[in-house]
Amino acid sequence: MPHFKADLGQLSRIREFVTETAAALGVVPTALDDLRLAVDEAVTNIIVHGYRGAGEITLDITADGNDLVVELRDEAPAFDPTAATTGKPRQPEAHTSPGGFGLYLIRQSMDEISYRRTSAGNELTMRKRDVVKGVR
Amino acid sequence: MSDNLQIGVSREEGDKNVSVLRLTGSLDANTQNQLEDKAKETIDGGAEYLVLDMSGVDYLGSAGMRAIHAITNQLSPEESSMRSARLKVLSPSPAAAKVFKTLGFDSFIDIHDNLDEAIAAL
Repeated sequence: MPHFKADLGQLSRIREFVTETAAALGVVPTALDDLRLAVDEAVTNIIVHGYRGAGEITLDITADGNDLVVELRDEAPAFDPTAATTGKPRQPEAHTSPGGFGLYLIRQSMDEISYRRTSAGNELTMRKRDVVKGVR
Repeated sequence: MSDNLQIGVSREEGDKNVSVLRLTGSLDANTQNQLEDKAKETIDGGAEYLVLDMSGVDYLGSAGMRAIHAITNQLSPEESSMRSARLKVLSPSPAAAKVFKTLGFDSFIDIHDNLDEAIAAL
């Protein structure tokens, strides 16, 4: 399972990994922007608001039938992004809460988001439905 | 340090003090500060109006939008909640334009696909 250092300098590599893995799994090209965005925002939140220092992030991308499933694991302090409230930002001034913009983008880009706190840390699962079309 | 974002600055000829920031690369949490710093330097250097040329930006996330928001506030602190009269955005990719729209930034920052038009709108 691919591991990445919790370092903002890794973001472009992580986005490349998402693109390559999703394409290899047969994800339709029109879904790639949403996937890159959701993973980048989730990883950014883990680095900036979770670890706030050194750490490691595991990123697993798999196909489940026609759905694409992204699993992110980290050992940062507990944070449940599915519990945070975000509304549609009409006035940007209203969106100064940490990670609020990013969470909103994740919710708009993916169909399902679930969170689990395990003994090992945080586990975030994001699902995008009906985007895997290629022959595997 | 990152070389994921390059920023070129040019001063436009004309009555108004307009500078164009040409961005090439990714605008994410890793490069957000680079853009804010370069914009601050340009504004401190006398620029009163900015055009952000995003035609070379291959990724825009929420961190990039935060930088753009900070720049609009720096250009016109007195009208931070209104449509920005001093900043225009040029030629974002469809994905970047979608982020603008999803976060509601299109309601206060104009997007143009032509530099002359963007400058004329300032």
